[in-house]
Amino acid sequence: MDSNTRILADRLANIVGPRHVKTGASELLVYENDGLPGYHKRPRLFVAPGNREEAIAVVQALAAANAPWVARGAGTGLSGGSLADGVVMIGMQRMRRILAIDPEARSATVEPGVVNVSLTKAATPFGLHYAPDPSSQAACTIGGNVAENAGGPHCLKYGVTLNHVLAATVVLPDGELLELRTPDADAVGFDLLGAFVGSEGCFGLAVDITVRLTPNPERICTMLADFTTVDGAADAVSTIIAAGIVPAALELVDAGTIAAVEASIYAAGYPTDAAACLLVEVDGPAAGLDDDVAEITRHCTAAGARSVKTATDAAARAKLWQGRKKAFGAMGRVAPTLAVQDAVVPRTRLAPVLREVARIAEKHGIRVCNVFHAGDGNLHPNIPYNGHDSAEAARVHAACDEIMAACIAEGGSITGEHGVGLDKLPYMEDLFTPDSLDAMCRLRDAWDPARRANPGKVVPVHRCREWMATPAARS
Amino acid sequence: MTAPKPLAGADLCVHCGFCTQACPTYLTLDDENDSPRGRIVLMKAIADGSLAVADPAAALHLDQCLGCRACETACPSGVPYGHLLEETRAKMVERRPLSLPTRVLLYVFATPTLAAAFFSAGRALRALGLAALLSRLPGRIGIMMATLAVSHRARARDYRPRAGTPSREDVAVLQGCVMEGLLAPVNRATERTLAYNGYRIVSSPGQKCCGALHAHAGARDAARALARENIAAFEASGAAYVAVNSAGCGAAMKEYDHLLADDEEWSARARTFASRVRDVSELLAAAGPIQAAGQPRKLAVDHPCHLQHAQRLTDPPAKLLAALRLTDAHDLPDASSCCGAAGLYSLENPGLSQRILAPKMASIAASGADCVATGNPGCMMHIGAGLLRAGSRVSVRHPVELLDEAYSREANV
Repeated sequence: MDSNTRILADRLANIVGPRHVKTGASELLVYENDGLPGYHKRPRLFVAPGNREEAIAVVQALAAANAPWVARGAGTGLSGGSLADGVVMIGMQRMRRILAIDPEARSATVEPGVVNVSLTKAATPFGLHYAPDPSSQAACTIGGNVAENAGGPHCLKYGVTLNHVLAATVVLPDGELLELRTPDADAVGFDLLGAFVGSEGCFGLAVDITVRLTPNPERICTMLADFTTVDGAADAVSTIIAAGIVPAALELVDAGTIAAVEASIYAAGYPTDAAACLLVEVDGPAAGLDDDVAEITRHCTAAGARSVKTATDAAARAKLWQGRKKAFGAMGRVAPTLAVQDAVVPRTRLAPVLREVARIAEKHGIRVCNVFHAGDGNLHPNIPYNGHDSAEAARVHAACDEIMAACIAEGGSITGEHGVGLDKLPYMEDLFTPDSLDAMCRLRDAWDPARRANPGKVVPVHRCREWMATPAARS
Repeated sequence: MTAPKPLAGADLCVHCGFCTQACPTYLTLDDENDSPRGRIVLMKAIADGSLAVADPAAALHLDQCLGCRACETACPSGVPYGHLLEETRAKMVERRPLSLPTRVLLYVFATPTLAAAFFSAGRALRALGLAALLSRLPGRIGIMMATLAVSHRARARDYRPRAGTPSREDVAVLQGCVMEGLLAPVNRATERTLAYNGYRIVSSPGQKCCGALHAHAGARDAARALARENIAAFEASGAAYVAVNSAGCGAAMKEYDHLLADDEEWSARARTFASRVRDVSELLAAAGPIQAAGQPRKLAVDHPCHLQHAQRLTDPPAKLLAALRLTDAHDLPDASSCCGAAGLYSLENPGLSQRILAPKMASIAASGADCVATGNPGCMMHIGAGLLRAGSRVSVRHPVELLDEAYSREANV
């Protein structure tokens, strides 16, 4: 460790206590990864503030030392967004207090390290829940959700994180504290909070976040429709949405995913001989819900579903959802490394895109397991592979590039909810013009002129015209 | 130097992080090095040689693992965490010997004559009231004495199976070291409730400590030696099943096949043996069990980690308690997380163990229960000691004791 790092570590230890600063190689190992296996970036050091004051003091100390940094919640991200390549990592997991729940205003104020599902648990006695439900909700944090503008199955009806954040207190990278509030009817000016949500840790560090809580629906029905062709399932998605029904969630899992999940402790009873299953949930007032169920069943059957089962009691619904939500983790049963894509395509193009993905997979001799938010057209082709096999890894990377190109060619985008981070960085130039990328750099500069927060992520560095000269921008 | 041996099963981990919130030490210490995902990273690095076996930081975080295996029932990929930990600890023990008190305790447990003397001394301290008195001392001694003070003697009177009960298989009961030494009434209750439900209890002379504590500590050779002796003893008994009333012992014995997998002479016998091991609740559930009105009380149920996470048993223990027809029995809200007992952990890491116990104490108090049921001697004594030291009057009982009392009352009216 160089002497500057030692001095910085001592200064940070004075703020948070020595146990919460890590500088040794062995203790930094786990912080080399987020939820995406395959990347290893060693942080310069790790520091975990325990409260708001410590978090502010840490950012100020890093500003004083002109040391770039990356914030990390639970490390469940899937785009490498919280990897710290030779820079300081600020771990937010100690800041996990729910500061207030206001059942009348239907809002909660939390520290950023609060785990998504803990907030819903705490809100349950009031008949409320926190609606955005990424599949990693049992582990991921609200702070990370805000950084990535996280989605989740139920965002189809309820909206993504952005639609649920009411306010935030943010430390800017220069150490200044900024209160960001959603503009109400009287407010004028730009929606800075809207810019902050989804800024992937490049604009500052949230130290508290106020979110909307949503009343629990009166009734919920979860359906499992099983198809012998992926095309049939994809067609059913289009017709359900076209019929004007807005399900709470509309998810697709294919045969490869079903096999992994059904072998796991989260086995949900998905038929293992199906080519694909749709998980459809409708919720709301009890009156009229049965009509929606009947209509969805009709559309699924017309598209070729072998069976459509409906679960209404909480335990049966939870079981169906556990399979879907833990599918990503179950991929370890197939292979030790995993490439995860997060493309969005127009819903009506789902069937041809899925066919193209299958064709690309076959061409490169790789395995693709699809599990995704079909109702949003948000694809997640998961590609389990052996990272130790360099030839296989090369084929996977080539296939990923082709899958992305295919999605973009269909009018799609490179990320729906995982963020750009490090993993999707190379595709930014396929999607945006140099002028657009430059505009993004300038927006970032408005928040972080010294370019200290999450360097090297989101926007390709060489696209920022004055970017390369700064010390923070390491290639 | 030999080539590094890959850690079998570690590659199943795709780093999703779903295990972190299931881990009591992560939730207590807030450092991912003290989470399953972090420890798997450390264990993989030790296995592939990129980290020294004796790396002090890695040793600290691996020593701080309870081995509760709650991560295993959270893991979608099925990482065999418990096996990874035992294998790594075995490797570490070669380079860094266990502490002297741990070595002494493991040796005593493995040696019947010493164990008998050790536990009679404990019973004497308990009978003289010294254990209760000394439990007020701070630190390790106070905790140990409280643990001893809450171990208990028989309360139920003997009774016989009802005429006409259909007869079931022959069963040999693991007596265990701590269970027979300090909680013998649980063993008698196990034998009586099984017999009452039609099983024939057969003796199995020569059985010993199950070796779970040895395996968890990394003392694999000692664990293997005990496993072989137990396999031989239970084979000789001719029993169809080996009944175990200690969740930790049951989990270890069900995994004798894994422990002896590389032992050419014993691996097949170990597989057969492991397939015959049953938690007492499994056998009782298979037989019904016969219903009996339990003493009316407000009961809080805690699930031993090695029952729910290692043996993956939740229905049989619930069926056992349901036989008591209690109207006010509920799982503790944190019944799925460890109490901090974890074998010798409560003595090796007293500070952390007590911090992990604290939320359990709070949830027991909030439940308003007058009795806690849990099916593992370590948990019974650790939770009981915590309650004693907190001045609580809540008792801790093994579920078979509650069933035994109900049978005894009905038979002796």
